[in-house]
Amino acid sequence: MTKHAGWWYGGVLTLLVVTIAVALMAGTTWLGPGRLWTIASQPASRDFVTVFNLRLPRIVSSLICGGSLAVAGALFQAVFRNPIADPSILGISSAADFFKLGGALLLPWLPGRNWVLAMIGGLVALTILTSGKALRDPYRLIIVGVALDATFVGLARLVSSGQASQVMQSTFNAVTWSDTVALLVLGLLGLVVALLLAPWANDLKLADAALQTIGVPVRVIRWILLLLGMYLAVSVTAIVGTIPFVGIVIPNLARRFVGHDYQTLIPFSMLAGAWLMLAADTLGRTVIVPSEISAATMMAVIGGPFVIILLQRGRGFHGITTR
Amino acid sequence: MELQHVSYQYPGQENGVTDLSGTFPAGKITTIIGPNGAGKSTLLKILSRQATPQSGTVTLAERPLTAYTNKLLAQRIAVVSQRHELYDDMTVAAVVKMGRLPYHGLLATVPDEEVTDFLAQTGLTSLADAHLDDLSGGQQQRVWLAMALAQEPQVLLLDEPTTYLDVHYQQALMTQLRQLAAAGMTVIQVLHDINQAFTVSDWLWLLQDGRLVAAGTPSDLRQAPLLAKTFQTPIEIVDVPRLGPYIVQVPEAT
Repeated sequence: MTKHAGWWYGGVLTLLVVTIAVALMAGTTWLGPGRLWTIASQPASRDFVTVFNLRLPRIVSSLICGGSLAVAGALFQAVFRNPIADPSILGISSAADFFKLGGALLLPWLPGRNWVLAMIGGLVALTILTSGKALRDPYRLIIVGVALDATFVGLARLVSSGQASQVMQSTFNAVTWSDTVALLVLGLLGLVVALLLAPWANDLKLADAALQTIGVPVRVIRWILLLLGMYLAVSVTAIVGTIPFVGIVIPNLARRFVGHDYQTLIPFSMLAGAWLMLAADTLGRTVIVPSEISAATMMAVIGGPFVIILLQRGRGFHGITTR
Repeated sequence: MELQHVSYQYPGQENGVTDLSGTFPAGKITTIIGPNGAGKSTLLKILSRQATPQSGTVTLAERPLTAYTNKLLAQRIAVVSQRHELYDDMTVAAVVKMGRLPYHGLLATVPDEEVTDFLAQTGLTSLADAHLDDLSGGQQQRVWLAMALAQEPQVLLLDEPTTYLDVHYQQALMTQLRQLAAAGMTVIQVLHDINQAFTVSDWLWLLQDGRLVAAGTPSDLRQAPLLAKTFQTPIEIVDVPRLGPYIVQVPEAT
């Protein structure tokens, strides 16, 4: 890691600590650091419940979701060799959402239903995405992905008889400790594996033919990384819902800050994604107290313009070639 | 390396190679020449096992190519393509380290000192931390050569390695191949520049329509009628002072 990257790591860690502190204190009622300290020893107080049963699970969930989505994006970009590939834009997340919804209607008795069905949905979308010509053409990939996304969002609306878009419902509001623990276990597991497999993401910078001549099993590592990225994104969708753009915004900023080496990029994306998600959610729930803006809406507002700028400024599209 | 009755057809296409038999002598530079569509690149793909022949056998060290594991093959045969694609930015050292993967576990971190020799050999030591995007075509070609050398192969395959190089770099590359062959490496390349092929090679394979027309030393094959027939164009061999025999294409006789 360069010294330059070291500074960025320091910066994002500082931001994380500060934002976690603010997120604990801010809300409908502001609780200063002194107050936080006193209520920690008063488990019966109303403020204790606010902080430990409402704010803390929400903070932990946002951190894990942000980290997972950012890393999932980075992995997809490595595999598809496309700087805007990401499970949300390619329809993986909305497929997971749709299957989750269908499961709630058809298989209400299934244990771990949301997660199992979301994974099946993710696999279905991934199979469609990788079975045709989309892999060979970066433009086609994104267009097929967007069409997949629209299809599954439409199907979900159809099933839920025309209610508001799924995307807008994804929120950390009312997230429980049991949801949080599930996210923590699923997310941390995936993130640890992603950190270990980061060198494979670097390998995929070379063309398939070149990788074959150095004995690297291209297809195997591609599928493992793809499934890992899907797993991370779908675990978030299963519990919270679809949150767009984190996986595009964070890895692309991270490339600017810490460079293109995935062994540095993936851990940084994890931290920065966690921070962004927490900042977006905390802002969303404090700006118009007592009402709130969902994390998905916040990310759509932040991420949409970012992607437009990213592409309109003519960065490399076939392959991630520009710095 | 040796070929016995090797045939390969692309599915649904006419181009391919038919019944190729012959050897690529160890420690020598062999150049495959022939007109467009003669099957030169196909032959290179067969030699690197990127294409598996429908019939016939390819052997390396008296062992069929199919008997090698991917990893073992990568320790024996290295390929320098005409133009390498890189989908994302990497440093020179990182690319060259990829060439060490056949000697490590898939997730290993290759130590810097393992590639210092190969960087030095290709004159890239000072560029080790440079980004590939920032290098010239000639420098990039050296990076890919360094990666291939890092595999420490017995056989080095090059597909038109001089295409994107200026005259100076072409010369430097050929000198380097000469040294590698002298050190015992079997160098097999495809070249378009026929005079370059005749100058630099120890052994030549002349292909036409997927068949081996002739194989031999440059002096064996330096025959105007043979070359004219293979390339289907009138050819004469002239003597250039201080250079020697030179193959030129002449206008059709009227």
